Amino acid sequence: MVKLVPKKVGIIACSGEELPEGTVSRVAALKVLEELRPEDTVTLCLPLFLAGDERERAFARFYPTIALDGCEKRCAQRATERYSGQTADSLVISQLVEEQRLPRPQGRRRLDGGGDRVVQAVAEELATRVDRILGEKGRLGLKITKPEGTPATTGATCACVTGIPVTQVEIGGVKVELVGLSAIFEQFYQTDKRPGDGLAEELLQTVKLYNRVPEKANELYKMALVREYEIFCRQKEG
Amino acid sequence: MSVLEDKKVIVIPCSGIGKVLGSVSREAAYLVIEELRPEETDTVALSLLVLGDEAAKRAVQDHPTITIDGCRYECASKNVTQAGGQVARCFTVLEALRRYRLKPKSIADLGESGELLARRLAEEVAEAVEEIGKDGDVTWLS
Repeated sequence: MVKLVPKKVGIIACSGEELPEGTVSRVAALKVLEELRPEDTVTLCLPLFLAGDERERAFARFYPTIALDGCEKRCAQRATERYSGQTADSLVISQLVEEQRLPRPQGRRRLDGGGDRVVQAVAEELATRVDRILGEKGRLGLKITKPEGTPATTGATCACVTGIPVTQVEIGGVKVELVGLSAIFEQFYQTDKRPGDGLAEELLQTVKLYNRVPEKANELYKMALVREYEIFCRQKEG
Repeated sequence: MSVLEDKKVIVIPCSGIGKVLGSVSREAAYLVIEELRPEETDTVALSLLVLGDEAAKRAVQDHPTITIDGCRYECASKNVTQAGGQVARCFTVLEALRRYRLKPKSIADLGESGELLARRLAEEVAEAVEEIGKDGDVTWLS
């Protein structure tokens, strides 16, 4: 039986270099990733949505993602939703500062004492929201296999290191990229699920957790998923 | 006219958060714009370029831009180019790391060695700013 890693929550910080709040977003995100919820969270550099490929752009479809923004421009939230997928939650630091009557942070390179207080408040709020998402969705998730030779993670987990598996499948004559399919198949196989009655619907519902599936295409997806899973099982059994 | 008015050169670090290279890149950029060349440089948030913010795009289109990338993904350079800007000089932390053999401690705390690496890199960037200024006009290298 494979050991399944817990499902993780994605955190995308704006890291805005122009404002102290951008530095707060970065430091607070790192605090959650490294100290408060290291086992439950993963991140990706925001610019990778444009500079990377489909694996990076699949981030928010694969991980329920919280966008952390410094200001009302909401770069992290808007860019995540434009290039990757719907965010599960979002937090704007300038709003939180106002709501909790915190001091306005000062210093882009080195935050002042007020900035440190804001970092703490933001990190705690972020951790609470991570817990809320994991509580809602359950902790079991998919095992992500690191590429061979990837060093062990010692700090924040970055998705560009762990990699999000993307598989191309032909569905109704069209080539479609599905996120997490190999990990889903592996999970099904290791829990002794074999092609047969009722599996198509279960496969579809699991695939839908990480991919957008048009309602009208449900049956086409089911057929393709069962076909691909049969091939997967045959390959496994030699 | 861009939002930067009389500032001459824009320095953009990569915004990397998942690797220590991103932290060095950010620190080096701040050293240049706040300490070494405060009058001649400024920065534009990379996240604004990702989003396609018009003012940010105009800034990199109208001003010579130096990028400091952390890793092989070259996020800063690619996003500046995609925003219609031209990268006047591109520095990478990975190369600086090999050259200076200074190992940063962690993402959140660069440590003495990482701070020194950022400073060495910042000094290179500051020299490049100087060269661009001497040219009078910008010599585009990309």
